[in-house]
Amino acid sequence: MAKKDLWDGNDIYVCDGDLAQAFHMARVLGMPLLIEGEPGTGKTELPLQYSKSHGLDLHVYPVGSKANVEQFVAKFDHVKYLRDSQIEVLNMQREEKGMDSKLSTGGRSTEQLDDYILMGPAAKAFMSPHSVLLIDEIDKAPREFPNDLLYALSHRKFVMPESGRVIEVSEEDMPAIVITSNREQELPTAFKGRCIYHYIAFPEPDTMKSIVIRHYPKADDEVVNTALNIFYHMRNLGLERAPSTRELLHWLKYLQQFAKEETLEKMKNLDGIGALIKTQSDLEKVQSKLFSSGSSDYMKRSLPN
Amino acid sequence: MFQSLPQAFRTHKLQADVRSLLLLQKSFENGLVKTFGDLFVVLKGIIVKKPQDIGPFSKAYYEYFLNIQFKPGETLGSAITRSVAFQEWKENYLESLDDEAETPDLQSLIDRFLDQVHLTSYDIKKIIDGKQILEQDNPDLEDQIDQDANASQGPNRPLDRASDFSDIDINELLDRMRRVADQQKDQHFGGSHWIGQGGISPYGFGGAAKGGIRVGGAGGGKMARKVIGDARYFPVDKDEQINDNNIDASLASLKGVISESAEEELDVQGTIDMGLKRGGLFVPELKDKISREMKVILLIDNGGYSMNPYIHTVTQLFKKMKTRFAHDLKTFYFHNTIYEYVFTDARRSERMNIDRFLKHSPDYNVFIIGDAAMAPYELGRSSIQHWLDIANKFKKAAWLNPDRQEWWEHTFTTKVIQEIFEMYPLTPNGIEKAVLEMNRKGRMG
Repeated sequence: MAKKDLWDGNDIYVCDGDLAQAFHMARVLGMPLLIEGEPGTGKTELPLQYSKSHGLDLHVYPVGSKANVEQFVAKFDHVKYLRDSQIEVLNMQREEKGMDSKLSTGGRSTEQLDDYILMGPAAKAFMSPHSVLLIDEIDKAPREFPNDLLYALSHRKFVMPESGRVIEVSEEDMPAIVITSNREQELPTAFKGRCIYHYIAFPEPDTMKSIVIRHYPKADDEVVNTALNIFYHMRNLGLERAPSTRELLHWLKYLQQFAKEETLEKMKNLDGIGALIKTQSDLEKVQSKLFSSGSSDYMKRSLPN
Repeated sequence: MFQSLPQAFRTHKLQADVRSLLLLQKSFENGLVKTFGDLFVVLKGIIVKKPQDIGPFSKAYYEYFLNIQFKPGETLGSAITRSVAFQEWKENYLESLDDEAETPDLQSLIDRFLDQVHLTSYDIKKIIDGKQILEQDNPDLEDQIDQDANASQGPNRPLDRASDFSDIDINELLDRMRRVADQQKDQHFGGSHWIGQGGISPYGFGGAAKGGIRVGGAGGGKMARKVIGDARYFPVDKDEQINDNNIDASLASLKGVISESAEEELDVQGTIDMGLKRGGLFVPELKDKISREMKVILLIDNGGYSMNPYIHTVTQLFKKMKTRFAHDLKTFYFHNTIYEYVFTDARRSERMNIDRFLKHSPDYNVFIIGDAAMAPYELGRSSIQHWLDIANKFKKAAWLNPDRQEWWEHTFTTKVIQEIFEMYPLTPNGIEKAVLEMNRKGRMG
């Protein structure tokens, strides 16, 4: 039986209920889970942490603008094949001349086309049952890429180039496939139809707090609360590029090196704010808004619920 | 079962079809649906395909399963309050309360109702896990919970086993659901059979009395807050004029303007280079066609009072678009119609001659935003000629009109402009249509 239990995070990854259920559902139905959401909300972390806590094989395909099915599934190594077939001819000539020593093809045989196939992450994942396959940032791919996957996703099989060998996986053994997207382009409807869709909402303050605590268990409560207040306050300023979870964690990492009192002081002065704010105009906005309203003001405020 | 479901969800412009039904059935067979809240989650995974779908989906779900009908622009809270489902639930619920207990106010009742509607087996699992830990910690806790549970606002609330479908035979459940689905059409029942009238209720109360699980406030109002407070859950009407609430939906529509080039062409130089590297084995190399940059010209009518409410939102929208994904955005202004000039600033002090404006490269996407309503004499022959020039020069041009579509035909000048430009309402849906049409024209060259 495939790994179909409900999984909701481990010691450093908090997976909220909705996402845990969607992921569970995708695994039970043997369908890929398509996760979209703001950058830095932990889309990619999910399969990484899942495979880690279950000790499963992880196969990753980072999608780029040149992504194609060949890289993803498998490609045929023509150069090696050409070389080996020339070696065969050479070896025959050497034999005629009565030479004993033979040139090696490294155990490959040109009769066996499978020997020349370089498998990509998809083929590898389909061959190892219950593995985890991550297709990261699929929205960066050319439009053909998701369309080319349709057949494989609905029939759970890949056909190897040249050799015609079929790699097939049963619904039971289907790897857990997670696909992430930042919505830089809309994916084809037919493709989405074959996925379970989940949109990661931005974490609420209390969820965020538990995320922070899992990453920095030793962090001081007051420090965390203050950081969260500033963080959510910034998100409400209507910045061009609102800070995300990842950036909050980076900021806290930086602040960790100081003693508590010093940290609070540094936060008040928005020290290390470069971790959170990424554009010049945002920085100006933050400085004018947060300082003009009196920086001690938001320090006192309790966590919004 | 649920034969009418795809149709019902399609009226909310969602993608639902036979495949959705088959997947739903498969989910039932695999034990994914144990509570009514699970049904919401599972259907959401199957039907929702983009963030803007979540609002319409919630709406469709409440309508189909709970017969909660939304009037245009109504909040979820008030739609729930009007519904028969809620009324019946409330009666049952209030009866189940102790006499001494204070009657909860409407808002907490709605929260409570939504909590129960959205209670998933995941929540139950969490709660049970949490409860076991609590009990190990403190053996006296049971009594305390009992007391708290009677207080309506108390952090501890009773949940019960009746909301778990797992003991029920799948066929019986499907049969029951079919009956409910059929009854949806009949106003006498109004779909409220989902709410405990004896039998198996997805959120019945009998279980609590029979010593069901009594637990801490883990589920407390989480979903309710989500639904009521979160713009993505609250139905965004995509045919509403653009405003600060649906600006994100509009932005999502605009994203489609990004030209996607996945075309490839033969890379001659690359083929030669690689062929030499491969020792004379020439395999054709392909390279991506360089995709066009996204270029946008925004032409805004900022004269007249009719446009005032929209200018801020529109400029915000396109500014957001620029920071997120556009490379080249130019904004120009005009007053009612174009004579010899367009203006490069909102105060209309910097002029640009129309001939110079027309020198922009024809691959710009041009969005003209205006109500196109003016006195007929304003739209003289030379002005019409300017509009025609713009339409001829920029093939990818669209007119977005903030006035309601049904008014257009009553304005003479609007009709004239419509003959020159494709006109769309300034709504998320309108923008999406305009963008699709632009892309189509772009592809045709």
